[in-house]
Amino acid sequence: MTVSTIAAPVYARLPVTDLSMAGRFVAEVLGLPPGPVIEGGTCFRASQRQHDLSLVTDGTAAACGFECRDEAAFEGAAETLGAAGFTVRRADASECAHRLVDAALLTRDRSGNAIDLVLRPHFNGRRCHLLRDSGIRCLHGFGLRSTDIDGDLAFWAALGATVSDRVGDIAYLRIDDRHHRIALHPAKRSGILNVVFAVESLDQVMQAHYFAAEHQIRVLHGPGREAVSGLVFLHLAGPDGAIFSLVTGDDVIDGRPHRPRRFPFATESLCTWGSVCTEVPEWRTETVL
Amino acid sequence: MIHLDDITYVRLGTPDLDLAADFATRILGLEVAERGARSLHLRSDARAHTLCYVEGDPALQIAGFEVADAGELARAAAALEALGHRVTAGTPAEAEERKVQDFIGFTDPSGNRIELVLGPEYRGPRYFGTRDAAITGFNHIGLNSTDPVRDEAFWTQVCNARVSDRIGDIPLMRINKIHHTLALVRAAGPGIQHINHQVVAREDVLRSYNLLVRHRVPIVFGPGRHPTSGANFIYFRGPDGMVFEYSCGVDEIEDEASHRPRSFSFEPASLCMWGARPGGLIKGT
Repeated sequence: MTVSTIAAPVYARLPVTDLSMAGRFVAEVLGLPPGPVIEGGTCFRASQRQHDLSLVTDGTAAACGFECRDEAAFEGAAETLGAAGFTVRRADASECAHRLVDAALLTRDRSGNAIDLVLRPHFNGRRCHLLRDSGIRCLHGFGLRSTDIDGDLAFWAALGATVSDRVGDIAYLRIDDRHHRIALHPAKRSGILNVVFAVESLDQVMQAHYFAAEHQIRVLHGPGREAVSGLVFLHLAGPDGAIFSLVTGDDVIDGRPHRPRRFPFATESLCTWGSVCTEVPEWRTETVL
Repeated sequence: MIHLDDITYVRLGTPDLDLAADFATRILGLEVAERGARSLHLRSDARAHTLCYVEGDPALQIAGFEVADAGELARAAAALEALGHRVTAGTPAEAEERKVQDFIGFTDPSGNRIELVLGPEYRGPRYFGTRDAAITGFNHIGLNSTDPVRDEAFWTQVCNARVSDRIGDIPLMRINKIHHTLALVRAAGPGIQHINHQVVAREDVLRSYNLLVRHRVPIVFGPGRHPTSGANFIYFRGPDGMVFEYSCGVDEIEDEASHRPRSFSFEPASLCMWGARPGGLIKGT
């Protein structure tokens, strides 16, 4: 496996219309504790880092943040993406402060999705104590909408990501020892499809399923299990059309040679347990259940 | 003391054998061992059958338990008669219907029909389900009880059952290493409260959940996880209202001598640690 420029997903920035309502969802449903006070939004922790998720009202677009392996990788990424004609801009001091990182490249893929490539995200000495026992351990990855799959694949290829598997035209991209951290979905518009958090075990996924039912939170898909990665998942409808996903399971690929497999775009490919998604166009395999 | 070694079979009356056959094969995932004019024998493990539907009244519900040998069967008959239970000896024809060498029948203090059997038949070819339900075998039943305290005394003092844990007044009892083979659930009259089959993996329970939903099978309780046994479960309703359960991951009691039963409070969280609610499965929840 080629070494990727990017090491790990570090944060999601989601624009919201009602900060207090969206913040309540993150705190009361996901159980994420607040991080440091930032301008133009609220930031939350899901790990030892200061910032795993922020809700913003400063007019900036939804963005997903990835940590670069090191400074050489950071500089290399700026050069490679620039040469390939992608938008790349160095974040100024206040933009870095909002993101709680030392440096950031604010980039866009061909679809126009904002991708932040960051150096030295800030950590917190105090461990992350969840507000409720949701079992969230860390940010795991993102689903992205793509209006130009080939163009976006070129963007991620430039950063050293490789395709693990495909379901129809959905491409699952690997940057480390996990099956995928990014899932690119063909869509009519760009944007973050879902923000994925890893939880401790199946118990927490199932507890979230019943918690959602009791708190009138819509379950968009699952509980289910991805055929490609083996991850158990639950996709929850969040505020402003955001989708928060909880996943668990062993998705370590661990350097074994892996040739991308192709699964048909069908119910049992997205969920080997047979759960059906009817509401999210990118995951809709059946019109009527 | 009557020594029960294992639970062997359940016999259920049904007015509609075709419906029972359809449910058992297409939904539950059992293998048809034998389809007679008035009976249907179904397999779930190496035994020749573990569930039998017979044409008739659905009130006919019998649970069969295996005992070790003819001496044990004779001693059991004598012990039950001494306690005032009416014991009937099975005829050779009835034994053949049950695919056992010999058996006796009696009713427990709540009026449940129980049979003690000798030498249940096994089959060479392994069980092969008609659908991929991943069943590993018939495992346990819930039994109605009009007086759980009295009935617990019967099963633990006249028979060899031991209480593994309690949820309110529901004793979960074992007759071998498995956490429970028999649970007594308070009810107005006798009957089998549920029939459990074990599946290979935790996820098989969730796989089946989606299949049950797709086929509009009424889900009674779950998917969930019992804090008592640690098992993942789902309960659903089959023909004639009978409740079936798939579960996986039932603990074994490793240290028979030192195990002390725990008492869980009578609330939904004691029945499911995920938050599922037992919709009418157990009175009072």
